[in-house]
Amino acid sequence: MTLRALALLPLLIASAWAQTLQQAESFRSAARYQEASTAFRVLVAANPKNPEYRVRWGRLFLERFNKEEAANLFQEALEIKKDYAPALLGLALVAADGFDTRAVELAEKALAADPKLTEAHELMARLALEDSNPKRAVEQADKALAISPKALDAMAVRASVDWLADKADSPWMDRILDINPKYGEAYADVGHFFVLNRRYEEGIKYYRKAIELDPRLWAARAQLGVNLMRLGEEVEAKRHLELCYENGHRDAATVNTLRLMDSYKNFLTYKTDNTIVKLHKKEAELLHPYVESELKRAIATFEKKYKVKLDRPVQVEVYPDHEDFAVRTMGMPGLGALGVTFGYVVAMDSPSGRKPGSFHWASTLWHELSHVFVLSATHHRVPRWFTEGLAVHEETAVSPEWGDRLDPQVISAIKNKKLLPVAELDRGFIRPSYPNQVVVSYFQAGRICDYIAEHWGFGKLLAMMDDFSRSEPTAQVIEKELGIKPEEFDKRFLAKLEAQTKGVIDGFDDWRKKLKQVSDLAKAGKHDEVIPLALAIRDVYPDYVEAGSAYEFLADAYAAKKNNTAAIEELERFARAGGRSPVVLKRLATMLEEAGRKRDASAALERLNYIAPNDDELHRRLGGLWLGEGNTAGAIREYTAVLAMKPMDLAASHFNLAKAYRQGKQITEAKDQLLLALEAAPGFRPAQKMLLELSP
Amino acid sequence: MACSTGATVPSANVERVFPDKPLAASVTGYVNFGKRALAAFFGLAIALAGGPALHAATYYVTVGGLGGEPEFETRFSNWAKEVDKLVKAAPESKVETFEGGAATRANLRASLEKIAKDSTPADALVLLLLGHGTFDGLDYKMNLPGPDITADELASLLGKVRARQLVVNTTSSSGGAISTLRRDGRVIVSATKSGTEKNATVFARYWIEALRDPAADTDKNETVSALEAFRYAEQKTAQFYETQKRLSTEHAVLEDTGKGEGVKAPSPENGYGLVASTFPLLRLGAAAKAAANPAKQKLLATREDLEQQIDRLKYQKAATPAEEYRKKLGVLLLDLARVQEELDK
Repeated sequence: MTLRALALLPLLIASAWAQTLQQAESFRSAARYQEASTAFRVLVAANPKNPEYRVRWGRLFLERFNKEEAANLFQEALEIKKDYAPALLGLALVAADGFDTRAVELAEKALAADPKLTEAHELMARLALEDSNPKRAVEQADKALAISPKALDAMAVRASVDWLADKADSPWMDRILDINPKYGEAYADVGHFFVLNRRYEEGIKYYRKAIELDPRLWAARAQLGVNLMRLGEEVEAKRHLELCYENGHRDAATVNTLRLMDSYKNFLTYKTDNTIVKLHKKEAELLHPYVESELKRAIATFEKKYKVKLDRPVQVEVYPDHEDFAVRTMGMPGLGALGVTFGYVVAMDSPSGRKPGSFHWASTLWHELSHVFVLSATHHRVPRWFTEGLAVHEETAVSPEWGDRLDPQVISAIKNKKLLPVAELDRGFIRPSYPNQVVVSYFQAGRICDYIAEHWGFGKLLAMMDDFSRSEPTAQVIEKELGIKPEEFDKRFLAKLEAQTKGVIDGFDDWRKKLKQVSDLAKAGKHDEVIPLALAIRDVYPDYVEAGSAYEFLADAYAAKKNNTAAIEELERFARAGGRSPVVLKRLATMLEEAGRKRDASAALERLNYIAPNDDELHRRLGGLWLGEGNTAGAIREYTAVLAMKPMDLAASHFNLAKAYRQGKQITEAKDQLLLALEAAPGFRPAQKMLLELSP
Repeated sequence: MACSTGATVPSANVERVFPDKPLAASVTGYVNFGKRALAAFFGLAIALAGGPALHAATYYVTVGGLGGEPEFETRFSNWAKEVDKLVKAAPESKVETFEGGAATRANLRASLEKIAKDSTPADALVLLLLGHGTFDGLDYKMNLPGPDITADELASLLGKVRARQLVVNTTSSSGGAISTLRRDGRVIVSATKSGTEKNATVFARYWIEALRDPAADTDKNETVSALEAFRYAEQKTAQFYETQKRLSTEHAVLEDTGKGEGVKAPSPENGYGLVASTFPLLRLGAAAKAAANPAKQKLLATREDLEQQIDRLKYQKAATPAEEYRKKLGVLLLDLARVQEELDK
């Protein structure tokens, strides 16, 4: 090789690399992702000190649903070049995808490193709008547009802000389409914001427009499918999702939603004039009567209370497998872990999907039904905090025992002044800044609604709901309906809350220490010492009804001292305080029964129908008690529930139901059940006896 | 099970019953009617097999082994005491219970050796092991105060007993003893399916519950059979793990073929459960009283005939129109109830 040739070598190599980068991006544009990735791999291997190639490769991974690998590459780029703006932006995009609060911080860092990074401003605009801060969203979008007048995603944010505020004459989408008539991503962005605001039907409308412009916009089509499915439009949803899947768009939402839809063959659907209940075959027969009757009760109550008449049936889907339920909430920030409402469709966990006592399904159902009414009444124009707050308020309104209790996370948040101002409370749901902030925000929102109802009357909550339906912001609504500034509201609310919780907040550390002492004394069988100490701490934190509560220790100690009356009193306090342990509530029922208080015993057991109904012993006992009380319809329901659980003792179960039917003078049904009992056990004497009595 | 003919049918095992009774049609039924018919066939076979002679004794030997920790010591001891109380209430029961310091290898050996001398083939032996067990890949041992007892040693001791036998091993790793203990005519219930399931079990809790819960007697003949108790305890154990959302660390099995590894769900399809279904673990009521009265022999024969007609009808259920089946069943059940009423007078 000549010297000249050697001198030309770097240029030749550079040319080759440039061609490879171009190839990589071409592959990517042509959706040939594997080849694109291979090309990037070659580039990175040949240029280990080049941060740009790693960032570009990372963006490819991000596009192809691999956030972890994308983040690794962005980090590697930052190790090569500190504060490399595109890498910081890449990390911000990863964080934003998971509604991680660090997204804003990382985008700000990217802008600090490169103030002219248009995409970072666009991201900041998007994040602000996700946080329900349209003013800031507009500011950031305008900054992007100042740098690049053709920043299409910034314009899409501006269009979203306008349309979310019902400004029909927004110019932004026309401007986008003038620049790029096929830019469906803009409509997909708008769809995203509408879905985040629970305006699913409008979100679906925009996703449809997105794929009309670009039928190969698979991400938008997938979201269209997911949201159609959320609204119960399963046939069309499946068509879109399958098309995405077949074309290689296999993100978690698409794949998991398709899997969930496949599992629907295992579900049974029950319809009435105003309800649709979807239950898994394995528990449908058991749960159907309970879920449907509670659903109807809630609808009737809310129609009267909210003065709203629903224009279509409410669909409730109950999932025994929590993972199936979780698919419903994918890509939605801050949604409750137990239930979720999409317009007129409610998806929730089944009581069988959780440890008995850890989940009050009826409370969740009422919570979600409140959302159905609020979303319907406001046409989905309601801040998250308000609809959640009202739903939490309703849990306790239906029964003081039903709502969630004050838990240590909330105590800690109050103590450390971590509650948010009412005007910013949505942030606690959408982009929590500390662990459990979503839980704390639910609590705070609920207490705010309690406070408003108590001091201004429930009518004010309805008036606020009406204001929200016109997209009025929280601060304005508070001032208009309550006559005070939001800051003043926060001050008064916090003063009230702190006064209510002062005892537990001040005494929490001491309570915890003493509860441990009580536990040790109980283990040592020192009942005489347990009683005064447990009594001293019980009312410091009366909401503590989890395992090892003061109530249980006291009941044990009293029972050991043969003072069953006092033991019963403690267990009744436990129940009134919202205790949900099936073991403890059954124990209370047994003690009440032994004390001759059968009506109270059945009331104790009835609580469990709302908590852990997958329990044949519960239904058998409650059926027996109700039969004795003359509640024949109740007994029939309970004994039917036993049979729905496919009990081992088939003969006795049919016989019990026969007894209930006989008491209800439904002789034909009673005889049918007797035959079934005797078919299982022909020599079953009590059944034989009744058969003779019922036969001429 | 329907072993109300127990007084008139001698103690019988499968090999003795099959040639004596017209069961060939049942086999044809299996071919024609599938699973439901087979289940009915199984029920009929059980009815014909009957139970042991009612005057025979049942020996109950219960061992509450070494707990290792106070919690387990108390648990095993309390379980043993509870079983002791329950089985002592049963008619014709001969009970020996070893718990705490008395649950030694020597005491258990002595007890089984004595039963070997005293018992007859008409008698029954129920050996219940409560506690911890270990399995090293070859040998199973039950942990006892002092020297442990091995599966080989237990097999040897039980081999000398002429009575029908039910061995209920509820210890951890109990599955490791199945291959050593199995024998024709012997029922083995094991809390774990293999020796590698080493965690403490909850199966024993539900086995004991089966002895006191009338729901375990699913055919309402006032006798809880080994099969009924197994199904009860197995189902409750599975429910325990399911409701507690815990990974199941024990899988109970029943072996009564003399050659198998045991199964979770004994059925005619897999050939398990026939011997266990005829093994009366605990008699709950006074079912035997009527049988002892010669004046009622005719009624008893009528009852037996009706029961067999019901079994045959159930066996033909799949091939009978629903309304016709219901009508016929109703008539037979009513007749049976009337006969029973007479018997009870």
